[in-house]
Amino acid sequence: MNDKLRVTEKELTQEALRDPTEALRVPVVTPPVPYPIETLVPEVRQQTPAVGQRATRPDGRLHGLGQTRYIDDLTFPGMLHAKIKRAGIASALIKRIDTSEAEAMPGVMAVLTGREIPVNSFGPSLQDQPVLCDERVFHAGDGVAAVAAVTEQIALEALEKIKVEYEPLPAVLDPLEAMKDDAPKVHPPASNIYSHKIIKKGDLEKGFAESDHIFEARFSTQMVEHVPLEPHASIGMWDSNGRLTVYSSLGRITLGRTDIARTLRLPINRVHVVATIVGGNFGGKNEITQEPVVALLAKKTGRPVKAVYSRGEEFTSSTTRHPIIMDYKTGVSRDGRILARQVKLYLDGGAYCSWSETTLGKACILSPGPYNIENVEAEAFVIYTNKTVTGAMRGFGAPQVCFAYESHMDDIAKALGIDPLEIRLRNAFSEGSISPTGQVLHSVVVRESLERAAERYGWQESQS
Amino acid sequence: MKRRGRGIACMWYPIGFTVAANPSAATVKVNEDGTATLLTGTVETGQGSLTVLAQIAAEELGVATEDVHVVSADTDVTPMDTGAIASRTTYVTGNATRLAAEKAKAILFNVAAPMLGVRPDQLEARDRKIQVKRFPQRQLPISQVAHHALFVKGDPPIGSASFNPPTVAMDPETGQGLPFATYVYATQIAEVDVDDETGEVEVLRIVASHDCGTAINPMLVEGQIEGGISMGIGLALQEEILFDDKGRQINPNLTNYIMPTSLDMPEIEVDIVPSYDPTGPFGAKGVGEPTSVPTAAAILNAIHDAVGARVHSLPATAEKVLAAIKESRVQGTKQLPGTRRAIAGPAA
Amino acid sequence: MTEVKMKLNGETRSASVPPETTLLKMLRESFNLTGAKLGCDVGDCGACTVLVDGMSVNACLMLANQVDGREVLTIEGLATVEYLHPVQEAFETFASLQCGFCGPGVIMSAKALLDENPDPTIPEIRDALSGNLCRCTGYTKMIEAIQDAARILRAKEHA
Repeated sequence: MNDKLRVTEKELTQEALRDPTEALRVPVVTPPVPYPIETLVPEVRQQTPAVGQRATRPDGRLHGLGQTRYIDDLTFPGMLHAKIKRAGIASALIKRIDTSEAEAMPGVMAVLTGREIPVNSFGPSLQDQPVLCDERVFHAGDGVAAVAAVTEQIALEALEKIKVEYEPLPAVLDPLEAMKDDAPKVHPPASNIYSHKIIKKGDLEKGFAESDHIFEARFSTQMVEHVPLEPHASIGMWDSNGRLTVYSSLGRITLGRTDIARTLRLPINRVHVVATIVGGNFGGKNEITQEPVVALLAKKTGRPVKAVYSRGEEFTSSTTRHPIIMDYKTGVSRDGRILARQVKLYLDGGAYCSWSETTLGKACILSPGPYNIENVEAEAFVIYTNKTVTGAMRGFGAPQVCFAYESHMDDIAKALGIDPLEIRLRNAFSEGSISPTGQVLHSVVVRESLERAAERYGWQESQS
Repeated sequence: MKRRGRGIACMWYPIGFTVAANPSAATVKVNEDGTATLLTGTVETGQGSLTVLAQIAAEELGVATEDVHVVSADTDVTPMDTGAIASRTTYVTGNATRLAAEKAKAILFNVAAPMLGVRPDQLEARDRKIQVKRFPQRQLPISQVAHHALFVKGDPPIGSASFNPPTVAMDPETGQGLPFATYVYATQIAEVDVDDETGEVEVLRIVASHDCGTAINPMLVEGQIEGGISMGIGLALQEEILFDDKGRQINPNLTNYIMPTSLDMPEIEVDIVPSYDPTGPFGAKGVGEPTSVPTAAAILNAIHDAVGARVHSLPATAEKVLAAIKESRVQGTKQLPGTRRAIAGPAA
Repeated sequence: MTEVKMKLNGETRSASVPPETTLLKMLRESFNLTGAKLGCDVGDCGACTVLVDGMSVNACLMLANQVDGREVLTIEGLATVEYLHPVQEAFETFASLQCGFCGPGVIMSAKALLDENPDPTIPEIRDALSGNLCRCTGYTKMIEAIQDAARILRAKEHA
């Protein structure tokens, strides 16, 4: 198998070029199929304003012609392909990594382990995530070693030849269990509760005491993947001045560059990051993943190195949406006004912090809902577990808490015999309302949105 | 039997980071023919930032959207930007872009003022012209002014600016503070059919009324809302990463992790709520993330309305819905009060 | 090595590839036609959709030698020097694509549908796109654009 592949690589590159008939049949770069370039010159509208127009996207035509170049569509001469070996075990000490057999494989150009990474930690708020694990594995999707080879297939086969010896450790998978004092620590000696937020406004006890009814409910949500259609992809290459260029599917290149420079211990001006057009982000491409790996493999081999996540890695080794357990207690008057609300949120933080602090903050601030409530207490905890990393995803905890506060609202409405639209209008923010953090709100149109949606839907007409 | 229900959910959502600085910088260069180039460090990830930022720069310069070419996503070329995150591009990078364009425009006005015999503050830029306010017949093409600025005055019309949303840190004990510069609001109403024998849910229709401040490009706002709803449907009914008892994922593939396809999408009616935020570029706020915030809540309320059963944990799979229906029947304390009408056979 | 000779985007082309090479790998690596994308590699996402003898297929599931002697059309072969395919034009007008990664596959599926059925209903369009996953758009503007393209194609037919 390996021999066959080796021949393949050779034939496709060197030999193919030497054989004149082959070179004719398989041009190194096929001329692109012609397309109507004239019409690419935009038809210019003479009028302003520009704002408010349904202007066409400048990238729209390229997308439709298949001409947008995403990272995986780029190739460079001599480029190698990298793959990362995943732990497959949720919590363990790494006793030994033997890469010798993989390194001896024909077609393998370099192998990288965590110990070779100059600063083996990163993260947007806490730097608790290793690029490749060196001493300990924190979740099953962790990388433990990487290979650069002449083809992706050889790289994948080489991963099988890397032997990692683990000493399994007890894994903690449930956030409520992980909060207990005697739970195994994910990042010992640190507590599993790695961030906490509290918001207090008014007098909660007084609010509950004045309420005619008190409702309590627990809601929970699941772990969700971003599923960008384009898997994470990165290419690293160096010039002879020791300057690194990284092409990568990153939504935030400025801070990506900071993280790459930090992990590689390089001055920032030695790092050049290009993101081209990213094939879907939704929060999942807001931090570095394999960029330092391709950079170091490129340095070791002196050749450009590309790595693309498989769809499986996209699930196991990129970030996901936080599952949240949400406890709501709400006191209301007979006519459906919310007088007091207490919220407790428990976020499953996964193995690393990632964007959890931001998610914790937004979920906590937004959890009382867009309602005028005099007496509020919202408290949120984010807890390490030996599971897939949870991080930024479209809404930073807001879809989860909205599910809870709006389900709760309907249950209250039904119990009081008030129409769900009406109970919301009775409580909704208006211009100048004060948020649970004491902020005076401006350009508030939640009532307008309720009324317009109800009218458009025909809410009154569809009433039974 | 299929039972129909409707559910409503509203939400609020902030623009930008929680307290933390999240600045954007931008550079606008007006070329000698009156076209312009915008440099931004944000990244086009599908949301349409290249288009929206071009429209903002064009509006400020009084040129057409197509006159502005946007260069993005290259750390060697483009100024720093916190990136495509937290629904912040239109508001934060948009403000930086407008300010940068304003500075370039100021250079053009300084050059044009003596050419038109007025003060710079008496000028405005519209329809690719620099003209005297209230006397639009006294005008010069922007191309002529830009050419003059560069080749005669030696003052190339370039502007750079940055913007960081103002916030006040939250008190660690009480959480009191101003964590965000602005918020958007929205309501979605879902209509569903629930099969009370299988627990299967079909989302038929979603009405979405969203506030984004000024809609810089209504077509792209609609696209964001439609896409956000599809993600919300996945969260509500289908998607879940499952683990075995050892902490390994069971379904890390698109065969067993079910996300919405074209067959799962309901009829969507988008409504953009008129709104203007004086702190945003031309009144704009943002729209990316909030579009998927109220969808799951609206669908779950519609399920409750249809069959009187409350599902407390997402996703509301057929098994969970059926279990909730059975539980609500066993409790027997209530009939199915939310059920308005049963539909015989397939929905008409 | 396997010899593959086919009509690729209207021109006779051939390549010599290892027998396990997929059609997608051959298109992307031997012919530098990178319009068809690798999204999942197991036929779930449809980002690699191309037409073989007019039928839409997942190029990641087909071996290169299976197209020997057949006609392959990729997104790069859809437009000509004179004009964009109406589906491409409508997708641009309606902003049907956002990140665009699924676009080439979606457009090829739409082209296969319209070749077969010039006047598809909305359920038929939904059905035709059900093998193409998109995370950005909710498919709504794609469906509108395909209806519009169908109208234009029918008008051309009559003219």
